[in-house]
Amino acid sequence: MKYLSICSIAFMNLISVSIVCFILSLNFLLNDMIYFIEWELVSLNSISIVMTFLFDWMSLLFMSFVLMIASLVIYYSKEYMSADININRFIMLVLMFVMSMMLLIISPNLISILLGWDGLGLVSYCLVIYFQNIKSYNAGMLTALSNRIGDVALLLAIAWMLNYGSWNYIFYLEIMQNEFEMNIIGVLVMLAAMTKSAQIPFSSWLPAAMAAPTPVSALVHSSTLVTAGVYLLIRFNILLSNSLLGQFLLLLSGLTMFMAGLGANFEFDLKKIIALSTLSQLGLMMSILSMGFYKLAMFHLLTHALFKALLFMCAGAIIHNMNNSQDIRLMGGLSIHMPLTSACFNVSNLALCGMPFLAGFYSKDLILEIVSMSNINMFSFFLYFFSTGLTVCYSFRLVFYSMTGDLNCSSLNMLNDEGWIMLRGMLGLLFMSIIGGSMLNWLIFSTPDMVCLPINMKMLTLFVCISGGLIGYMISLSNLYSVNKSHKFYNLSVFMGSMWFMPFISTYGIICFPLNYGQVVYKSFDQGWSEYFGGQYLYKKLVNYSQMLLLMHNNSLKIYLMLFVLWILILLSFLILL
Amino acid sequence: MFNNSSKILFTAMMIIGTLITVTANSWLGAWMGLEINLLSFIPLMSDSNNLKSTEASLKYFLTQALASTVLLFSVILLMLKNNMNYEISNSFISMIITSTLLLKSGSAPFHFWFPNLMDGLTWMNALLLMTWQKIAPLMLISYLNTKNILLISVILSVIVGAIGGLNQTSLRKLMAYSSINHLGWMLSALMLNESVWLIYFLFYSLLSFTLIFMFNIFKLFHLNQLFSWYSCNKILKFVLFTNFLSLGGLPPFLGFLPKWIVIQQLTFCNQYFQLLILLVTTLITLFFYLRMCYSAFMLNYYEIVWMNNSQVNNFTLNLFMLLSFFSIFGLIFISMFFAMF
Repeated sequence: MKYLSICSIAFMNLISVSIVCFILSLNFLLNDMIYFIEWELVSLNSISIVMTFLFDWMSLLFMSFVLMIASLVIYYSKEYMSADININRFIMLVLMFVMSMMLLIISPNLISILLGWDGLGLVSYCLVIYFQNIKSYNAGMLTALSNRIGDVALLLAIAWMLNYGSWNYIFYLEIMQNEFEMNIIGVLVMLAAMTKSAQIPFSSWLPAAMAAPTPVSALVHSSTLVTAGVYLLIRFNILLSNSLLGQFLLLLSGLTMFMAGLGANFEFDLKKIIALSTLSQLGLMMSILSMGFYKLAMFHLLTHALFKALLFMCAGAIIHNMNNSQDIRLMGGLSIHMPLTSACFNVSNLALCGMPFLAGFYSKDLILEIVSMSNINMFSFFLYFFSTGLTVCYSFRLVFYSMTGDLNCSSLNMLNDEGWIMLRGMLGLLFMSIIGGSMLNWLIFSTPDMVCLPINMKMLTLFVCISGGLIGYMISLSNLYSVNKSHKFYNLSVFMGSMWFMPFISTYGIICFPLNYGQVVYKSFDQGWSEYFGGQYLYKKLVNYSQMLLLMHNNSLKIYLMLFVLWILILLSFLILL
Repeated sequence: MFNNSSKILFTAMMIIGTLITVTANSWLGAWMGLEINLLSFIPLMSDSNNLKSTEASLKYFLTQALASTVLLFSVILLMLKNNMNYEISNSFISMIITSTLLLKSGSAPFHFWFPNLMDGLTWMNALLLMTWQKIAPLMLISYLNTKNILLISVILSVIVGAIGGLNQTSLRKLMAYSSINHLGWMLSALMLNESVWLIYFLFYSLLSFTLIFMFNIFKLFHLNQLFSWYSCNKILKFVLFTNFLSLGGLPPFLGFLPKWIVIQQLTFCNQYFQLLILLVTTLITLFFYLRMCYSAFMLNYYEIVWMNNSQVNNFTLNLFMLLSFFSIFGLIFISMFFAMF
């Protein structure tokens, strides 16, 4: 008896729900409609715990995108994970992941958000450690614990939300935005969002999470896990605009964007480069969000999801062909050997760079022009544009390393386009990442923004992109056999290439003191004083007493009987005397 | 046990002796019952082929005879002083009587004969000594009103029972010390009211029976036999040792129920210090029970695997499993039934 593959079932279901969601979102957008569904669970002392669902065009559109990408990723996994014995578990984990994300998207209530939020954290841990080895375990632990900080912040926010008697934050944001309590909630929610979206103090988990299988990376880094933070802040955007909080976030996210773009230029691991580019784009979304343009952030979130998922899928196909090697130095000339995959790869890369009329162009160009028109300081402006240049730089470096030149991998290695199942999954997203940008642009911005800039500022974007591309090409020319120039500035290149030491700080740096102190405590208390004077001492004493008691039992029976008689005599004498 | 027809007679007489004691309305009648009980238990103990059990029966005879003598003496003294009246007015006379009864039951300051004697008995006799032979003296103690000496006896019994069992390797001595410990609990239950004592005694008898039944079948007399015992059937081993924990009074098992009742009653009577001592010493007994359970509960425990294909009667195993079922899940089911009605 033949069974239908779990991948096919999941694909069909998800894609149909995605289409329904998309059509509904168009309807909601056209009619400017919002559905709000509330179910009261507990009402206690004028505090009601309710399960709420908010359906507006934003959540429905986001849901349709997430579901579409998830369905294609699952379709793609059918071949990518076909050799895996636990593919059923894998697909179920991915489905649970998507479900948590759905829960998060449609919840306007902090408690029900926490459900989805924790679900994401938990399932992401299970997915990162899916390939069971030490590296995955470490990466999974880093991911889970970094996200745990955000969970705690969210829990604290829930506790503060108790002041208002309900956790439906959408009712309180606008009216309470100047209250002190609401600002505390804002800080906590921002902290939560920063951990999920890997903003600067918490960035190190994102490249580490590349230990997950590539389809998971495609899903996690495009539309689900990392965008959850951005989405949460989009819902909370009122608290960010025109406040200190927003300025702080602008600085941090700008730095994240810059740091990730810089780090990607020093990286040789294919998946890590793409992960760092995700980080950089997340910084872009966060920074435009912190300036108050939440619609732009949403727009970029959606377009980015399309091409980033495609990019990861192509990377997965390439990794398959390179005998599971991810080092881009071993690639080269791939465009000749696997043309269709390379085409997808290049399109998504160009979309990432903002090549006109591909998906990334509409959102990114709009963001940069809005930034140019806004009043921001020189530093943030520099970060925006320099990072844009860096994006083009590492993308071109990646393309030139992997697509051109000679193949540097081991001999007896057969390269080809992967099977049709993977290609179909990729082609679906290829289509979307070509038309997605313009489509969303026309849908979301029914009246186009007016952009009025002097010619040199208008040209600035083009200039940084072109110069970035040139530099990327030049970097890619250095190969294994020439003297690597970056070794001349070793300290600097280590600093920039290792995400500004963040992986070290957030692992060894944090755990160093507690671990050492724990060792001292363990040595001198658990294994020292408390053991010697606690359990062991008590045991020794009890055994001593037991021995003494047994010594008493070692006598002849007559002594005991004599003693009994003596005792009776004493009692008798008392009886007589008293 | 019933391979000798005379033993049927002696068993019946032993039971009758106890019944005479508990139903007697005069001290002389009670004394008579005790004597009948003693004299019919001794032939049950002694075995002409076994030197140790003969010695044990002699020891038992001497101790009990002394106790009975003093009991008779003090009862006569009582009647003389009170003009042939049984009303106990003098506390010292009641203390003497209590001392004799404590000696008969083997509780703490007068317990020294008890572990020595147990070491020479067969398991079934040991069971009789631990359970049935306690009924008559404890019942008589419940008629007396001597709190002081009883309290001392309670405290000493639980301490001796706990500390004495710590270093034992002989299972019979271990059960003897455990019996002394339980006797302490029973005496404190006795001081509260009689039904609590009865409940405690019944549960204690059931749990002891479950364990000793198994020891008797498999001829287990020493601790090292337990570690290598029946490693072919891990579940049976596990169940046997869970019975141990139940006897020790670990909460989810039935053995906790009588202790629970006593704890509650003592708390109601504000006897916190006594309760503290009872609980602390019970922890010590639990500690050495748990130590014995290592071989059954631990996964990586070094054990010798014997190829002993012992033929155990299926009925016996079923009975044991039934008893163990009560012993392990009894408390839970009792609570459930209690919640139902």
